Amino acid sequence: MPLLANWYDLRDLGNGVARLIEALRDAGAPDGLIYAITGLLGAVAILLFVGLAAIINIWIERRLIARIQVRRGPNRVGPFGLLQPVADALKLIQKEALQPNNADGIVFTLAPIVIFIPVILAFAVLPWGEQMVLADLNVGVLYLLALGSTTPIILFMAGYASNNKYALLGSMRVIAMLISYELPMVMALLGVVTFAGTMQMSGIVDFQQTHWSWLIFFQPLAFLIFLLGGTAELNRTPADIAEAESEIIAGFHIEYSGMKFGLFYAAELVNAVAMSGIIATLFLGGWWAFGLEQWVPGWLIFISKIYAVYFILIWFRGTLPRFRIDQLMAFAWKFLLPLAIINVFVVALEVLLWREYELSAGVVLPVAAVVNFALAGVLIAGWARVMGQAFERAPKKPRLFSEIEVPLPDEAAPEAGSGQTEPATV
Amino acid sequence: MAIKTEPLVVNIGPQHPSTHGVFRMRVTLDGERIIDAEMIVGYLHRSMEKLAEERTWTQNIPFTDRMDYLAAMTGNLSYCIAVERLAGIEVPERAQYLRVIFAELQRIASHAMANGTFVNDCGAWQTPLFYMFREREKVLDLFEMTCGARLTLNYMRIGGVAFDLPDEFLPQLRSLLDELPDRFGEYEDLLIDNEILLMRSRGIGVLSPELAMNASMSGPMLRGSGIVWDIRKADPYCVYDRMDFDIPVGHTGDCYDRFVVRMEELRQSVRIIEQAVEQLPPGSHLADVPLNLRPPKGEIYSRIESPKGELGFYLVSDGGPEPYRFHVRSPSLLNLSALREMVVGQTVADAIVTLGSIDINVGEVDR
Amino acid sequence: MVIAFWALAALTVSSAAMIIVVRNLLHAVLFLILSFVGVAGLYITMSADFVAVAQVLIYAGAISVLMIFAVMLTPQSSRDNAGNFLQAPAFVLSGLMIAAVTLVAVETDWREAEDASFIVDGTATAIGDALVSPFVLPFEIASVVLVAAMIGAIVLVRED
Repeated sequence: MPLLANWYDLRDLGNGVARLIEALRDAGAPDGLIYAITGLLGAVAILLFVGLAAIINIWIERRLIARIQVRRGPNRVGPFGLLQPVADALKLIQKEALQPNNADGIVFTLAPIVIFIPVILAFAVLPWGEQMVLADLNVGVLYLLALGSTTPIILFMAGYASNNKYALLGSMRVIAMLISYELPMVMALLGVVTFAGTMQMSGIVDFQQTHWSWLIFFQPLAFLIFLLGGTAELNRTPADIAEAESEIIAGFHIEYSGMKFGLFYAAELVNAVAMSGIIATLFLGGWWAFGLEQWVPGWLIFISKIYAVYFILIWFRGTLPRFRIDQLMAFAWKFLLPLAIINVFVVALEVLLWREYELSAGVVLPVAAVVNFALAGVLIAGWARVMGQAFERAPKKPRLFSEIEVPLPDEAAPEAGSGQTEPATV
Repeated sequence: MAIKTEPLVVNIGPQHPSTHGVFRMRVTLDGERIIDAEMIVGYLHRSMEKLAEERTWTQNIPFTDRMDYLAAMTGNLSYCIAVERLAGIEVPERAQYLRVIFAELQRIASHAMANGTFVNDCGAWQTPLFYMFREREKVLDLFEMTCGARLTLNYMRIGGVAFDLPDEFLPQLRSLLDELPDRFGEYEDLLIDNEILLMRSRGIGVLSPELAMNASMSGPMLRGSGIVWDIRKADPYCVYDRMDFDIPVGHTGDCYDRFVVRMEELRQSVRIIEQAVEQLPPGSHLADVPLNLRPPKGEIYSRIESPKGELGFYLVSDGGPEPYRFHVRSPSLLNLSALREMVVGQTVADAIVTLGSIDINVGEVDR
Repeated sequence: MVIAFWALAALTVSSAAMIIVVRNLLHAVLFLILSFVGVAGLYITMSADFVAVAQVLIYAGAISVLMIFAVMLTPQSSRDNAGNFLQAPAFVLSGLMIAAVTLVAVETDWREAEDASFIVDGTATAIGDALVSPFVLPFEIASVVLVAAMIGAIVLVRED
C-alpha cells in the first residue's frame, strides 16, 4: 500500500524516487535505464549515510565510552570535539602504510578494502521506510546471514597475509568464533522468520505493523541470542577475542597502519550500524513505531532505533571484561544454541496452533508474548543453573587475620625471610 | 588418530600492552595452549645497584624512586630505614607517622593501579582502570601538594621526611578518606560478582602455598595463596605496631584471590591512615643527620612491606660516604619467579591474566 | 542480463583457472571463494535467489572456512603446490575430463525456459514446500547422513 504522496513528502524518501520513476516512464525511458538510475540513487543515499555514520560513530563511541569511564572524551577539535573523526582520519592518511616483510602483498592490501563489501551490502535490504528499500529480497534474512558468513574469510585474509603470529592467532580465533556464533544466530532468526512467516525484511516490518506490536515482545529469547551473537559477529567486548588488545594486541589487524587500519576501524563501526539496523528491523519494528511514523519520518525513527541498539553495544563495550576463547565457544554451543533450538520449537508450535485452528491474532499474540517471556526467563535462569559453575558459590571475600599465627622469626636469627612461615590452614 | 600440529613460538613482549613495561615472555604454543614459557628480563636494566656505589648515601634516594615508580614512597622508605638502622639514627615520632601515612597512601595508589590493570588484562576495555585512576589521581594530588612530585617523589629522607605537611593537606586527606570506602564499595559492586571476571580469574594461575613459599613470594601473591604473612605485622617498622589492621588472606591462590586480597588491602590501608592521622603527634619531621653521612662499618638487611611485597635493602658500609654494596631484594622479580609454573598448560589469555595478577613493575624487576 | 551473465561467467571460469595456476595454496582457496561467489551471481541471473544465497552461505561461507582450516593444519612444508611425477597423467586426465564435459554441454538438447522474466515471488517458498512434501524422504535421508558424518567426525577427533 504505497502512499501515493507528493515527492516532497519527507515521511518517505521513496516517494520522490517513485515520482521520478513515473516521470521517466512517461518520458519513455527504457526499463534498464530507470532501474540503473533508481538503483544508483539508492546506493548513493546508502553510501552517504554509511560514510556519515562511520564518521559520527567514532565521535559517539569515543564520547560515550569516555562518559562510562569518567572521562570527558574528545572535546578539543571543533564544537564538542565533533571534528575529532576528521582529525583522526587526516592523521591516519598521513601515516606511512607499512607492509611487513614477507607479507602476502596483494592479499594484505586487498583485505581492508574487501571487508567493506559484505558490510555495505547488508544495508541494501534494510527497509528505511515503506518504499525505502533498495533491494527488497524475498530471502532478505538469509541474505544477511550469507553476508555475515563471508566476513571471517576476509578477516582471515588480513591475519594470514600479515605474516605475524599474533595476527594468525587472531584470525584463527575469529574464524572459530564466527562459525560458532553463526549457528545460534541462524536459529534465533529462524524463530523470527517462522513467527513472521516471511524472510523478506519489509515483510517482517509489515508483520509487526499489521499486528501492532514489535517482534521483541514475541521473541525475547531470540532477541537476546541475536544481540549476544551480534556482539561476537562484530568483535566487540565481551567477545572481542579476535582483537583482544591485552592478549594478542590487535589480532588480525596488528600489522596494519595508516588508512588501512582506518578502513578496518571504519568497517567495524559500519558493521555495528548494520547489525544495529538488522536488530532494529527484525525486533524493534524497523521504521514503524506505533503510529509515530505518521508524524515523524520513518527513516528518522529507524535511525534512532539503530542508535538505540548501538548504544547497547557501546555500553557492553564499556562495561564487560572479555571471555576466554573456550568460554566463548562454550557459551555459544552449550548455552545459546540449545536455547535457540528450544525457541524454534516453541515458535513452531505456536505458529502451528495459530494457523491450524485459525485463531484470531488478537488471542494468539498476547498469549504467545506472555508464554515466550515466561519461557525465556525460565529457560535462561534454569539453563544458567544447570550449566552454572562451582566458582560462583566459592567464597569471594578474603579471610581476615589481625595477628600472624605463626611464631615470629627469632630476633637473633641471621636470615629473616618470608620463607620461614608455616602455611595457614587452607 | 592424531592431527599433527606445529608448535608456535611467540614472543609476548618486550613491547606488549599487557606486560606492564618491557618484560618479555617467550611462550611455545600448541594452538592457544602454552606448552612452555621462558621469562626474559633485563630490558630496563639501569645498573642501579652498581651506580649506587658511586653516590653518597643521600644521593641514592632518587634511585629508589625509579625502581618501582608506581610505589616510589615505599622504595624511599625501605632504603631510608635501612640506612637509619645501619647508622643508628633515631627518627622523630612525627616523621614515623608521616611515613606510615604516605606509605599507605602509596599502597592505595599502587593497588588501585594493579587492580585496574588486572581487570584491563581480563579484557574490560579500560573502564575499571579509569575508575581506579580516579582515586589514584587524588592520592597523587596529595603527594604533589606535599612534595611537589607525583610519580618520582623523593620524599623520604634519612632521618625523617623532606617536608612537613602543608596546611591544606589534612582536610583534603580527610575528605578523601571519607570518600574512599564508598568508592571501593563501588568497585566491588562492579567487579567482585562479575560473572565474566570470575570465569576469567577463578582457578587461573593457581599458586600453591608450598610453591609460593619455595619461590620466596611475598606481598599479595603470598597472601593470596593463603599464607598469613605481612611484614608490617611480622617485623614492624615505623609505628605499624601501634596500628590496628587486618591481613586479608585468599583461599586458593588463584588470580581472583590476589585480586580480592588487594581490594581488601585498600580498605585496610584506609583504616591505617585514619589511625595514623588521629595519633599524629606534633614535633619535628626530620632528625638532625650530618650532611656527609658515614655510617659505621657493617652490613644490614632491612625490609618493609611494599605494595608488591617484601622490599628489602642489603647495604654494606665500609665507613665511607658511599655504600660499599647496595643490593635490592625486589618483590617484583621474586614474584615473577614462579610464573612459568603458573602459566604452562594455560591459554595465552590466561597467561596474560596471570601476569597481570602478579602486579610486576619492570622498573623494579630489572633495576 | 546478458552482460551480467558473461561478466559472471568470465569471473567464475577465470578464478577457477587461477585455482590451478597459483602455487600458494591459500591463494587457491581465496580464488575458489571468488569462483563460488561468481556461481552465486550466475544463480541470481537465473532468478534462483534462494539457491544463490545458500551458495554464498554454505560454499563461500562455510566450506571455504573448512578448507582454510585444513590448509592451516597442514605443515608448512607440504602446503604449497609442488610439482611431482603425477603431473603428466593428471594433465592428460583433466584434458579428457574437459573434453567430455564440453561435449556433453554442447551436444545435450537443453530444455529452455520460455519465460525469462524475473520470478517476483521468489523461490524460497516453493523450495520449502518441495522439501517437506514431495521430497521429504530424500531430505530426511540427507539429514541422517549428515548426522552420521558429524558423529563420525566427533568420534575421530576424540582424545582417549
